[in-house]
Amino acid sequence: MKATVQVRVNGQDRSVEVDTRTIVADMLREQLRLTSVHIGCATGNCGACTVFLDGRTVKSCCLLAADVDGHEILTVEGIETNSDELHPIQECFIENQGLQCGYCTPAMILSALALLTENPRPTEEEIRHGIAGNLCRCTGYHFIVTSIQAAAERMAQNATAALSGTGT
Amino acid sequence: MISIEIEFSSPDTLPGVLDILAEYGDDATVLSGGMSLLPMMNLGLATPDRVVSLNRVGTLCSVTDDGDELVIGSRVRHAQVAADPLIVRHCPALSSAAKRIGDVQVRNRGTIGGSVSHADPSADYLPALLASGADIVLESRSAGRRRVSAAEFFVDLMLTAREPTELVTEIRVPKLQPGWGAAYIRFARIEGSFAIVNAAAILPGRGPGGTLALGGVGGRPVTADIAGLGESGWDDASVAAAGDAAFEASANARGDTMSDAEYKREMARVHARRVVRAAAALAAQP
Repeated sequence: MKATVQVRVNGQDRSVEVDTRTIVADMLREQLRLTSVHIGCATGNCGACTVFLDGRTVKSCCLLAADVDGHEILTVEGIETNSDELHPIQECFIENQGLQCGYCTPAMILSALALLTENPRPTEEEIRHGIAGNLCRCTGYHFIVTSIQAAAERMAQNATAALSGTGT
Repeated sequence: MISIEIEFSSPDTLPGVLDILAEYGDDATVLSGGMSLLPMMNLGLATPDRVVSLNRVGTLCSVTDDGDELVIGSRVRHAQVAADPLIVRHCPALSSAAKRIGDVQVRNRGTIGGSVSHADPSADYLPALLASGADIVLESRSAGRRRVSAAEFFVDLMLTAREPTELVTEIRVPKLQPGWGAAYIRFARIEGSFAIVNAAAILPGRGPGGTLALGGVGGRPVTADIAGLGESGWDDASVAAAGDAAFEASANARGDTMSDAEYKREMARVHARRVVRAAAALAAQP
Protein backbone atom coordinates (compact mmCIF):
# COMPACT_ATOMS: atom_id res chain seq x y z
CA MET A 1 0.00 0.00 0.00
CA LYS A 2 1.26 3.47 -0.92
CA ALA A 3 0.74 6.75 0.88
CA THR A 4 1.69 10.35 0.27
CA VAL A 5 3.27 12.03 3.26
CA GLN A 6 3.31 15.80 3.55
CA VAL A 7 5.97 16.63 6.05
CA ARG A 8 8.01 19.72 6.94
CA VAL A 9 11.63 18.67 7.23
CA ASN A 10 14.30 21.09 8.37
CA GLY A 11 12.04 24.00 7.51
CA GLN A 12 11.08 22.80 4.04
CA ASP A 13 7.73 21.35 3.04
CA ARG A 14 8.20 17.99 1.39
CA SER A 15 5.82 15.58 -0.24
CA VAL A 16 7.05 12.00 -0.17
CA GLU A 17 5.55 8.89 -1.73
CA VAL A 18 6.11 5.99 0.64
CA ASP A 19 5.12 2.40 1.07
CA THR A 20 3.05 2.30 4.25
CA ARG A 21 5.50 -0.08 5.90
CA THR A 22 8.30 2.51 5.59
CA ILE A 23 9.72 3.75 8.88
CA VAL A 24 10.57 7.45 9.22
CA ALA A 25 14.31 6.74 9.52
CA ASP A 26 14.29 5.04 6.09
CA MET A 27 12.18 7.77 4.54
CA LEU A 28 14.63 10.42 5.78
CA ARG A 29 17.70 8.51 4.67
CA GLU A 30 16.62 6.89 1.43
CA GLN A 31 14.14 9.37 0.03
CA LEU A 32 15.21 12.71 1.49
CA ARG A 33 18.93 11.80 1.68
CA LEU A 34 19.28 13.02 5.24
CA THR A 35 21.95 10.52 6.11
CA SER A 36 22.71 11.93 9.54
CA VAL A 37 19.83 9.73 10.66
CA HIS A 38 21.43 6.40 11.50
CA ILE A 39 19.80 3.07 12.14
CA GLY A 40 21.57 0.99 14.76
CA CYS A 41 19.08 -1.44 16.24
CA ALA A 42 15.63 -0.69 14.77
CA THR A 43 14.17 -1.63 18.14
CA GLY A 44 14.15 1.73 19.90
CA ASN A 45 17.16 0.98 22.07
CA CYS A 46 20.20 2.71 20.59
CA GLY A 47 18.73 6.09 19.71
CA ALA A 48 21.00 6.62 16.67
CA CYS A 49 17.89 7.46 14.63
CA THR A 50 16.77 10.25 16.97
CA VAL A 51 15.08 13.23 15.30
CA PHE A 52 12.83 16.03 16.53
CA LEU A 53 9.15 15.47 15.76
CA ASP A 54 7.09 18.59 16.43
CA GLY A 55 9.81 19.88 18.74
CA ARG A 56 10.41 16.73 20.82
CA THR A 57 12.98 14.02 20.31
CA VAL A 58 11.74 10.64 19.14
CA LYS A 59 13.28 7.49 17.69
CA SER A 60 12.53 7.56 13.99
CA CYS A 61 13.02 3.80 13.56
CA CYS A 62 9.88 3.30 15.63
CA LEU A 63 7.64 5.62 13.65
CA LEU A 64 5.78 4.80 10.47
CA ALA A 65 6.31 7.41 7.78
CA ALA A 66 2.58 7.42 7.07
CA ASP A 67 2.02 8.41 10.71
CA VAL A 68 4.00 11.68 10.47
CA ASP A 69 1.87 13.10 7.66
CA GLY A 70 1.23 16.75 8.49
CA HIS A 71 4.00 16.96 11.08
CA GLU A 72 7.39 18.63 11.36
CA ILE A 73 10.78 16.96 11.59
CA LEU A 74 14.19 18.38 12.42
CA THR A 75 17.43 16.48 11.84
CA VAL A 76 20.96 17.56 12.64
CA GLU A 77 21.25 18.90 9.08
CA GLY A 78 18.71 21.56 10.07
CA ILE A 79 19.83 22.70 13.51
CA GLU A 80 22.03 25.55 12.27
CA THR A 81 20.14 27.85 9.94
CA ASN A 82 23.32 29.33 8.50
CA SER A 83 24.73 26.41 6.53
CA ASP A 84 28.27 27.79 6.72
CA GLU A 85 28.37 27.53 10.47
CA LEU A 86 28.20 24.79 13.03
CA HIS A 87 25.83 24.87 15.94
CA PRO A 88 27.61 25.53 19.28
CA ILE A 89 26.85 21.95 20.34
CA GLN A 90 28.59 20.66 17.21
CA GLU A 91 31.59 22.92 17.87
CA CYS A 92 31.86 21.69 21.43
CA PHE A 93 31.67 18.04 20.38
CA ILE A 94 34.60 18.65 18.04
CA GLU A 95 36.65 20.61 20.57
CA ASN A 96 36.08 18.12 23.38
CA GLN A 97 36.54 14.88 21.43
CA GLY A 98 32.85 14.14 21.96
CA LEU A 99 32.91 11.60 19.17
CA GLN A 100 34.94 8.59 18.22
CA CYS A 101 33.42 6.60 15.36
CA GLY A 102 30.67 9.20 14.97
CA TYR A 103 27.78 6.82 14.46
CA CYS A 104 25.83 8.00 17.51
CA THR A 105 26.90 11.63 17.15
CA PRO A 106 24.10 13.29 15.17
CA ALA A 107 21.53 11.79 17.51
CA MET A 108 23.61 12.68 20.59
CA ILE A 109 23.69 16.27 19.39
CA LEU A 110 19.92 16.33 18.98
CA SER A 111 19.39 14.86 22.45
CA ALA A 112 21.82 17.44 23.81
CA LEU A 113 19.89 20.18 22.02
CA ALA A 114 16.61 18.93 23.50
CA LEU A 115 18.14 18.82 26.96
CA LEU A 116 19.75 22.26 26.78
CA THR A 117 16.60 23.83 25.37
CA GLU A 118 14.62 22.59 28.35
CA ASN A 119 17.37 22.91 30.93
CA PRO A 120 20.12 25.36 29.86
CA ARG A 121 22.41 24.60 32.83
CA PRO A 122 22.08 20.87 33.53
CA THR A 123 24.10 19.04 36.16
CA GLU A 124 26.28 16.13 35.05
CA GLU A 125 23.62 13.73 36.31
CA GLU A 126 20.91 15.52 34.35
CA ILE A 127 23.05 15.30 31.23
CA ARG A 128 23.50 11.57 31.73
CA HIS A 129 19.75 11.08 32.13
CA GLY A 130 19.17 13.32 29.12
CA ILE A 131 21.26 11.07 26.86
CA ALA A 132 20.11 7.79 28.41
CA GLY A 133 18.25 7.01 25.19
CA ASN A 134 21.40 7.30 23.08
CA LEU A 135 23.95 4.52 23.13
CA CYS A 136 27.58 5.15 22.21
CA ARG A 137 29.14 1.78 21.43
CA CYS A 138 32.61 3.31 21.54
CA THR A 139 31.53 4.00 25.15
CA GLY A 140 32.83 7.53 24.82
CA TYR A 141 30.32 8.90 27.26
CA HIS A 142 32.72 10.86 29.41
CA PHE A 143 33.78 13.20 26.61
CA ILE A 144 30.20 13.41 25.34
CA VAL A 145 29.13 14.67 28.75
CA THR A 146 32.07 17.11 28.78
CA SER A 147 31.05 18.33 25.32
CA ILE A 148 27.49 18.98 26.45
CA GLN A 149 28.71 20.84 29.54
CA ALA A 150 30.90 23.00 27.32
CA ALA A 151 27.99 23.58 24.92
CA ALA A 152 25.78 24.70 27.80
CA GLU A 153 28.36 27.33 28.74
CA ARG A 154 28.88 28.49 25.19
CA MET A 155 25.15 28.77 24.50
CA ALA A 156 24.70 30.73 27.74
CA GLN A 157 27.55 33.08 26.73
CA ASN A 158 26.09 33.51 23.26
CA ALA A 159 22.70 34.29 24.73
CA THR A 160 24.19 36.86 27.11
CA ALA A 161 26.18 38.42 24.29
CA ALA A 162 23.08 38.60 22.10
CA LEU A 163 21.10 40.21 24.90
CA SER A 164 23.73 42.84 25.61
CA GLY A 165 24.06 43.60 21.92
CA THR A 166 27.72 42.66 21.71
CA GLY A 167 27.10 39.45 19.83
CA THR A 168 27.47 39.25 16.10
CA MET B 1 12.84 -2.66 7.57
CA ILE B 2 9.32 -4.03 7.89
CA SER B 3 9.12 -7.01 5.59
CA ILE B 4 5.40 -7.44 5.15
CA GLU B 5 3.05 -4.97 3.54
CA ILE B 6 0.50 -3.27 5.75
CA GLU B 7 -2.85 -1.65 5.21
CA PHE B 8 -2.52 1.62 7.10
CA SER B 9 -5.34 3.86 8.20
CA SER B 10 -5.40 6.87 10.46
CA PRO B 11 -8.96 7.96 11.25
CA ASP B 12 -9.39 11.43 12.66
CA THR B 13 -12.15 10.50 15.08
CA LEU B 14 -12.70 7.87 17.75
CA PRO B 15 -15.83 6.52 15.99
CA GLY B 16 -13.67 6.10 12.89
CA VAL B 17 -11.26 3.91 14.86
CA LEU B 18 -14.08 1.93 16.47
CA ASP B 19 -15.63 1.30 13.02
CA ILE B 20 -12.41 -0.30 11.81
CA LEU B 21 -12.10 -2.39 14.97
CA ALA B 22 -15.76 -3.45 14.61
CA GLU B 23 -15.12 -4.56 11.06
CA TYR B 24 -11.73 -6.22 11.44
CA GLY B 25 -11.39 -7.12 15.14
CA ASP B 26 -8.20 -9.07 15.73
CA ASP B 27 -7.09 -8.46 12.15
CA ALA B 28 -6.59 -4.78 12.94
CA THR B 29 -3.67 -3.77 15.16
CA VAL B 30 -3.94 -0.48 16.99
CA LEU B 31 -0.90 1.80 16.78
CA SER B 32 -0.61 4.46 19.46
CA GLY B 33 2.93 5.56 20.38
CA GLY B 34 4.34 2.41 18.77
CA MET B 35 7.17 2.05 21.27
CA SER B 36 6.53 -1.69 21.57
CA LEU B 37 4.66 -2.37 18.33
CA LEU B 38 7.20 -0.88 15.94
CA PRO B 39 10.22 -2.73 17.39
CA MET B 40 8.19 -5.93 17.15
CA MET B 41 7.27 -5.15 13.55
CA ASN B 42 10.87 -4.29 12.68
CA LEU B 43 11.99 -7.61 14.13
CA GLY B 44 9.21 -9.52 12.37
CA LEU B 45 7.74 -10.59 15.72
CA ALA B 46 4.51 -8.73 14.99
CA THR B 47 3.16 -9.07 11.46
CA PRO B 48 -0.10 -7.14 11.34
CA ASP B 49 -1.91 -6.97 8.01
CA ARG B 50 -3.79 -3.87 9.03
CA VAL B 51 -2.58 -1.06 11.27
CA VAL B 52 -4.95 1.58 12.57
CA SER B 53 -3.18 4.61 14.00
CA LEU B 54 -4.65 6.73 16.78
CA ASN B 55 -2.31 9.59 16.07
CA ARG B 56 -4.76 11.63 14.04
CA VAL B 57 -7.62 11.27 16.51
CA GLY B 58 -8.20 14.69 18.02
CA THR B 59 -9.49 13.43 21.35
CA LEU B 60 -8.19 11.03 24.05
CA CYS B 61 -5.20 13.25 24.77
CA SER B 62 -6.29 15.27 27.79
CA VAL B 63 -6.07 14.93 31.56
CA THR B 64 -9.17 16.09 33.41
CA ASP B 65 -10.33 16.37 36.99
CA ASP B 66 -13.55 14.44 37.61
CA GLY B 67 -14.09 14.90 41.32
CA ASP B 68 -12.64 11.92 43.16
CA GLU B 69 -10.67 10.71 40.19
CA LEU B 70 -8.56 11.92 37.29
CA VAL B 71 -9.44 10.94 33.74
CA ILE B 72 -6.40 10.36 31.58
CA GLY B 73 -6.99 9.96 27.86
CA SER B 74 -5.40 6.86 26.41
CA ARG B 75 -3.34 8.92 23.94
CA VAL B 76 -1.62 10.94 26.67
CA ARG B 77 2.11 10.42 26.24
CA HIS B 78 4.39 9.31 29.07
CA ALA B 79 6.18 12.68 29.22
CA GLN B 80 2.85 14.35 29.90
CA VAL B 81 1.86 11.78 32.53
CA ALA B 82 5.20 12.48 34.22
CA ALA B 83 4.78 16.26 34.24
CA ASP B 84 1.05 16.99 34.21
CA PRO B 85 0.29 19.11 37.31
CA LEU B 86 -2.97 17.28 38.05
CA ILE B 87 -1.32 13.86 37.90
CA VAL B 88 1.73 14.98 39.87
CA ARG B 89 -0.55 16.36 42.58
CA HIS B 90 -3.28 13.73 42.73
CA CYS B 91 -1.71 10.52 41.38
CA PRO B 92 1.98 10.86 42.25
CA ALA B 93 2.72 7.12 42.04
CA LEU B 94 1.62 7.24 38.40
CA SER B 95 3.68 10.31 37.51
CA SER B 96 6.70 8.74 39.24
CA ALA B 97 6.20 5.57 37.20
CA ALA B 98 5.95 7.57 33.97
CA LYS B 99 9.21 9.38 34.74
CA ARG B 100 11.04 6.06 34.81
CA ILE B 101 9.75 4.63 31.52
CA GLY B 102 12.39 3.97 28.87
CA ASP B 103 14.23 7.18 28.06
CA VAL B 104 13.47 10.73 26.92
CA GLN B 105 12.58 9.75 23.35
CA VAL B 106 10.37 6.86 24.44
CA ARG B 107 8.53 9.06 26.94
CA ASN B 108 7.97 11.67 24.23
CA ARG B 109 6.15 9.20 22.01
CA GLY B 110 4.77 6.28 24.02
CA THR B 111 1.27 6.56 25.45
CA ILE B 112 -0.38 5.35 28.63
CA GLY B 113 -3.15 3.62 26.68
CA GLY B 114 -0.61 1.84 24.52
CA SER B 115 1.39 0.63 27.52
CA VAL B 116 -1.73 -0.53 29.34
CA SER B 117 -3.07 -2.34 26.27
CA HIS B 118 0.29 -3.99 25.55
CA ALA B 119 0.41 -5.16 29.19
CA ASP B 120 4.04 -6.09 29.39
CA PRO B 121 4.27 -7.52 32.92
CA SER B 122 7.28 -5.31 33.68
CA ALA B 123 5.69 -2.09 32.44
CA ASP B 124 6.10 0.78 34.87
CA TYR B 125 2.46 1.82 35.00
CA LEU B 126 1.01 -1.53 36.01
CA PRO B 127 1.73 -1.68 39.75
CA ALA B 128 0.98 2.04 40.09
CA LEU B 129 -2.44 1.59 38.48
CA LEU B 130 -3.18 -1.51 40.52
CA ALA B 131 -2.16 0.08 43.81
CA SER B 132 -4.21 3.18 42.94
CA GLY B 133 -7.35 1.15 42.27
CA ALA B 134 -7.55 2.58 38.76
CA ASP B 135 -10.14 1.62 36.18
CA ILE B 136 -9.60 1.15 32.46
CA VAL B 137 -12.36 2.39 30.16
CA LEU B 138 -13.00 0.40 27.00
CA GLU B 139 -15.20 1.42 24.10
CA SER B 140 -16.55 -0.44 21.10
CA ARG B 141 -19.22 0.02 18.44
CA SER B 142 -21.35 -2.90 19.63
CA ALA B 143 -20.95 -2.83 23.41
CA GLY B 144 -20.48 0.88 24.02
CA ARG B 145 -18.50 1.86 27.05
CA ARG B 146 -17.44 -0.24 30.00
CA ARG B 147 -15.15 0.22 33.00
CA VAL B 148 -12.86 -2.57 34.09
CA SER B 149 -10.76 -2.41 37.24
CA ALA B 150 -7.00 -2.70 36.75
CA ALA B 151 -7.17 -5.87 38.86
CA GLU B 152 -9.47 -7.48 36.28
CA PHE B 153 -8.05 -5.80 33.18
CA PHE B 154 -4.58 -7.33 33.43
CA VAL B 155 -5.13 -11.03 32.83
CA ASP B 156 -1.75 -12.51 32.03
CA LEU B 157 1.42 -11.87 30.06
CA MET B 158 0.42 -9.32 27.39
CA LEU B 159 -3.17 -10.44 27.78
CA THR B 160 -5.91 -8.08 28.91
CA ALA B 161 -9.68 -7.99 29.24
CA ARG B 162 -9.87 -5.89 26.07
CA GLU B 163 -11.98 -7.50 23.35
CA PRO B 164 -10.60 -7.26 19.80
CA THR B 165 -13.31 -4.77 18.82
CA GLU B 166 -12.60 -2.54 21.82
CA LEU B 167 -10.25 0.36 22.32
CA VAL B 168 -8.83 1.58 25.62
CA THR B 169 -10.01 5.18 25.72
CA GLU B 170 -9.45 6.38 29.29
CA ILE B 171 -7.57 5.51 32.42
CA ARG B 172 -9.48 6.67 35.51
CA VAL B 173 -7.34 6.99 38.60
CA PRO B 174 -8.67 7.74 42.10
CA LYS B 175 -7.02 10.73 43.68
CA LEU B 176 -4.64 10.22 46.54
CA GLN B 177 -6.46 10.94 49.79
CA PRO B 178 -5.26 13.91 51.83
CA GLY B 179 -2.48 12.92 54.19
CA TRP B 180 -1.65 9.69 52.35
CA GLY B 181 1.68 8.91 50.74
CA ALA B 182 2.35 7.27 47.37
CA ALA B 183 5.57 5.94 45.90
CA TYR B 184 6.85 3.92 42.96
CA ILE B 185 10.21 2.22 42.54
CA ARG B 186 11.75 0.01 39.92
CA PHE B 187 14.71 -2.33 39.96
CA ALA B 188 16.54 -2.77 36.65
CA ARG B 189 20.06 -3.37 35.39
CA ILE B 190 20.35 -0.08 33.55
CA GLU B 191 18.21 2.97 32.93
CA GLY B 192 15.88 2.27 30.05
CA SER B 193 15.76 -1.49 30.46
CA PHE B 194 12.60 -3.19 31.57
CA ALA B 195 12.24 -3.59 35.32
CA ILE B 196 13.16 -6.90 36.90
CA VAL B 197 10.63 -6.04 39.56
CA ASN B 198 8.77 -2.84 40.28
CA ALA B 199 6.46 -1.80 43.07
CA ALA B 200 4.00 0.88 44.08
CA ALA B 201 2.57 1.66 47.51
CA ILE B 202 -0.23 3.99 48.54
CA LEU B 203 -0.53 4.33 52.28
CA PRO B 204 -2.08 6.36 55.05
CA GLY B 205 0.37 7.50 57.70
CA ARG B 206 -1.48 5.27 60.14
CA GLY B 207 -4.49 3.03 59.89
CA PRO B 208 -6.04 0.65 57.39
CA GLY B 209 -6.61 0.81 53.67
CA GLY B 210 -3.11 1.00 52.23
CA THR B 211 -2.24 -0.89 49.06
CA LEU B 212 0.98 -2.43 47.78
CA ALA B 213 1.34 -3.77 44.24
CA LEU B 214 4.20 -5.50 42.47
CA GLY B 215 5.09 -5.95 38.80
CA GLY B 216 7.50 -8.23 36.98
CA VAL B 217 6.72 -11.17 39.23
CA GLY B 218 4.44 -13.11 36.92
CA GLY B 219 2.23 -12.56 33.92
CA ARG B 220 0.24 -9.80 35.58
CA PRO B 221 0.76 -7.25 38.35
CA VAL B 222 -0.21 -8.48 41.81
CA THR B 223 -1.28 -6.92 45.06
CA ALA B 224 0.32 -7.93 48.34
CA ASP B 225 -1.95 -8.47 51.33
CA ILE B 226 -0.98 -5.74 53.77
CA ALA B 227 -4.34 -5.52 55.54
CA GLY B 228 -3.73 -5.03 59.24
CA LEU B 229 -0.20 -3.73 58.75
CA GLY B 230 0.81 -0.18 59.62
CA GLU B 231 -2.16 0.27 61.94
CA SER B 232 0.06 2.04 64.41
CA GLY B 233 2.45 3.54 61.86
CA TRP B 234 5.06 1.94 59.63
CA ASP B 235 7.68 0.68 62.05
CA ASP B 236 10.40 -1.77 61.07
CA ALA B 237 8.26 -4.81 61.91
CA SER B 238 5.35 -3.66 59.71
CA VAL B 239 7.70 -2.80 56.86
CA ALA B 240 9.32 -6.25 57.10
CA ALA B 241 5.88 -7.87 57.15
CA ALA B 242 4.91 -5.93 53.99
CA GLY B 243 8.06 -7.32 52.36
CA ASP B 244 7.03 -10.83 53.36
CA ALA B 245 3.56 -10.21 51.94
CA ALA B 246 5.17 -9.16 48.65
CA PHE B 247 7.22 -12.37 48.63
CA GLU B 248 4.04 -14.39 49.14
CA ALA B 249 2.18 -12.44 46.45
CA SER B 250 5.00 -13.19 44.00
CA ALA B 251 4.56 -16.97 44.14
CA ASN B 252 3.88 -17.08 40.38
CA ALA B 253 7.08 -15.24 39.45
CA ARG B 254 8.62 -16.66 36.29
CA GLY B 255 12.33 -16.81 35.66
CA ASP B 256 13.88 -15.34 32.53
CA THR B 257 17.33 -15.05 31.01
CA MET B 258 18.38 -12.39 33.52
CA SER B 259 16.86 -13.55 36.79
CA ASP B 260 15.32 -16.74 38.11
CA ALA B 261 11.98 -16.83 39.87
CA GLU B 262 13.37 -17.07 43.41
CA TYR B 263 15.60 -14.05 42.83
CA LYS B 264 12.63 -12.05 41.58
CA ARG B 265 10.64 -13.00 44.67
CA GLU B 266 13.46 -11.88 46.94
CA MET B 267 13.79 -8.65 45.01
CA ALA B 268 10.03 -8.18 45.34
CA ARG B 269 10.46 -8.48 49.10
CA VAL B 270 13.32 -5.98 49.21
CA HIS B 271 11.66 -3.44 46.92
CA ALA B 272 8.32 -3.79 48.67
CA ARG B 273 10.03 -2.74 51.90
CA ARG B 274 11.67 0.20 50.18
CA VAL B 275 8.53 1.43 48.47
CA VAL B 276 6.50 1.10 51.68
CA ARG B 277 9.12 3.13 53.55
CA ALA B 278 9.10 5.75 50.79
CA ALA B 279 5.30 6.03 50.73
CA ALA B 280 5.06 6.10 54.51
CA ALA B 281 7.63 8.89 54.66
CA LEU B 282 5.43 10.96 52.34
CA ALA B 283 2.25 10.33 54.33
CA ALA B 284 1.28 12.66 57.14
CA GLN B 285 3.00 11.36 60.24
CA PRO B 286 0.63 9.91 62.85
